[in-house]
Amino acid sequence: MKTLRFTMMVAITLAALAAQAQDVAALLRATDKYRMNAENLQVETQINVHNADGTPDKERRYTVFAQAKRQSLVLMKSPAEAGQKVLMLGDDFWLLMPNSQRPLRITPMQKLLGDASTGDVATMSWAEDYSGKLVGEEACDETGAAAKQTCLHLSLNATRKGVTYQRIELWIGKVRHEPMRADLYVLSDKLAKQARFVMDKPAAPTMVTEMVLSDQVSNHKTTHVRYLSRKERQVPPEWLNPMFLVRNPPLD
Amino acid sequence: MNRIILGAMALLPVAAALAQTPVGTAQLGGQVRLQWVGQSASSNGPLAQADVLQSGLVDLPVGTAALETELRASGHGLTGVVTLQQQRVERGATENRAFVNELYAAHDGGAWQFSAGKKIVSWDVGYGFRPNDVVQQDERLSLIDSTSEGRPLLMAEHFNADTAWSWVWVNPSAARETTGGGEPALAARVYQRDGAVDWHGFARVGAHSGASVGAALAWVASEALELHGSARYQQRVDTLAVQPGASGVLPSDPWQGHTETGVKQLLLGGTWTNQDQISLLAEAWWDGTALSDAQWDAWAVRNGQLGALATLGVPAAAVAGNLAWQAQAFNVSPNLRRSNAFLRLSWQHEGWQPALSLLYTPADQGRVWTASLTWQGDRMQVQSGLRAYGGPDSAVLMQLPARSMAYVASTWTF
Repeated sequence: MKTLRFTMMVAITLAALAAQAQDVAALLRATDKYRMNAENLQVETQINVHNADGTPDKERRYTVFAQAKRQSLVLMKSPAEAGQKVLMLGDDFWLLMPNSQRPLRITPMQKLLGDASTGDVATMSWAEDYSGKLVGEEACDETGAAAKQTCLHLSLNATRKGVTYQRIELWIGKVRHEPMRADLYVLSDKLAKQARFVMDKPAAPTMVTEMVLSDQVSNHKTTHVRYLSRKERQVPPEWLNPMFLVRNPPLD
Repeated sequence: MNRIILGAMALLPVAAALAQTPVGTAQLGGQVRLQWVGQSASSNGPLAQADVLQSGLVDLPVGTAALETELRASGHGLTGVVTLQQQRVERGATENRAFVNELYAAHDGGAWQFSAGKKIVSWDVGYGFRPNDVVQQDERLSLIDSTSEGRPLLMAEHFNADTAWSWVWVNPSAARETTGGGEPALAARVYQRDGAVDWHGFARVGAHSGASVGAALAWVASEALELHGSARYQQRVDTLAVQPGASGVLPSDPWQGHTETGVKQLLLGGTWTNQDQISLLAEAWWDGTALSDAQWDAWAVRNGQLGALATLGVPAAAVAGNLAWQAQAFNVSPNLRRSNAFLRLSWQHEGWQPALSLLYTPADQGRVWTASLTWQGDRMQVQSGLRAYGGPDSAVLMQLPARSMAYVASTWTF
């Protein structure tokens, strides 16, 4: 009898855990739709970096082809980086420099370069990269108007090795599941950045228009990642081949 | 120097206007680079000895200042890159030069791509040495980054999501007897992506040097570690060697064309990068095209013999000329010694990249230290650094004409 009771308790616990994991996956899929509303997208992105004292530091423009199966191609458009490209195919990354005919195979650590890493620009979804648990209902923020709203707090851990952040504490709207804010932790479990998400219509949000990243480690700079436009676009398969990209073909 | 600055000032508005000029779907751009390289001559080596015996016979290293304007245009299937260079040699005249880096037509057939013209085609995976860079054969470990000069070629490529095939006919109009980078040759490469590993296969058939095959891989082994390797086997290599039996002062250059057979090249390396963007690159390579230890020993003996002859009443000009010929040994191969090790430590932070590198030749304990600092702004890049040669006096690196170098280059991109 004792064995049966123990077995049932284990089964119930496992079932509850599985249900919660399923819930979290469904919540993440719902949250992802606010940034990536189609399987294959072309996203024009602008980044503005501000120093700790609020003065502007730099501006960058990117074209991001965010494709299904965790494939992204980032084209750097600003003069300082013009012609540079970063290709991400699942957990594999290449850097392509305009004056080099050779794609550089880069490690996930090298992908972290910059105030807003290429991972921040190219990653438009969490559901395929993270799993976790629902911590509970909490105020969306400690101060401001968001303090009066109720959020679901998700604690997420990376399920793949190539992601920029190993752990994410994410707060999403309780009703519509739109992303509100996130604490982003790197592999050493150090809090690297805090993200806040700006929605198009706060009362009835349909998409994220801006992500504001605050550096918590080194320079305490603030990076505004603005999604200027999104359009559905599937790129030809050869565009996702690093050897094709070194030819510097027209990709617009 | 004043003329260089004036030249730069005259070109800047033209360059800026070009960058802002929309011409249909054409893309225009480029960069202007002002650079200075200072060199101190070595008191060691055959050229230094030749200069002591006969001043002015050989060109010793001197400082140079240069202004380079690189203009790029592409559109309607055509791509062109030209460089205008004005160089002032220390205590010398100003030289003007213009050359075409690339000028080619390309046809986009979707998965099939075709190119014809002068084009840069650079292959292989290494940093300090690329044995399978069989088309371009770029100089490695140069002080200042600059755009290479492409080679005439016809090229066909086929791509799908994971595989790429390239077929190249390089220097198609060159004479069959041409050697080195100008040799007419057929080359092919296949690339295969396999998860964390990039595989490359290479083949080349030169009109004069025959067949060679090679393979390379780049593997991201962990979050922080990338490993790479490259190997090549060549049926024959066109090189230089001293005529057998050459001894004493000779009336003609004893360095003659020579063919080595069954030559091997191998490179192994890796890059480790941590969370703070500190990177360590380590590479070791074997280059069978370089002179052997025995050849370098014989070279050193001959240098010593020639130096001794000068004290025995042999005409200084004849000895100096023979010593100058000895310097051709430095150009036999991209590497002086067959075994080489290379380390580079760098840090990327807020647009700044300080780096320190060491090239080491174990056979004679020669060393090349390079310390550099690069700053990258929105449109400006400034590179600066110092390079110094070290090791025992007998090391080949210590016999080179220069003992140390300093450089500064400022590049404006438009």
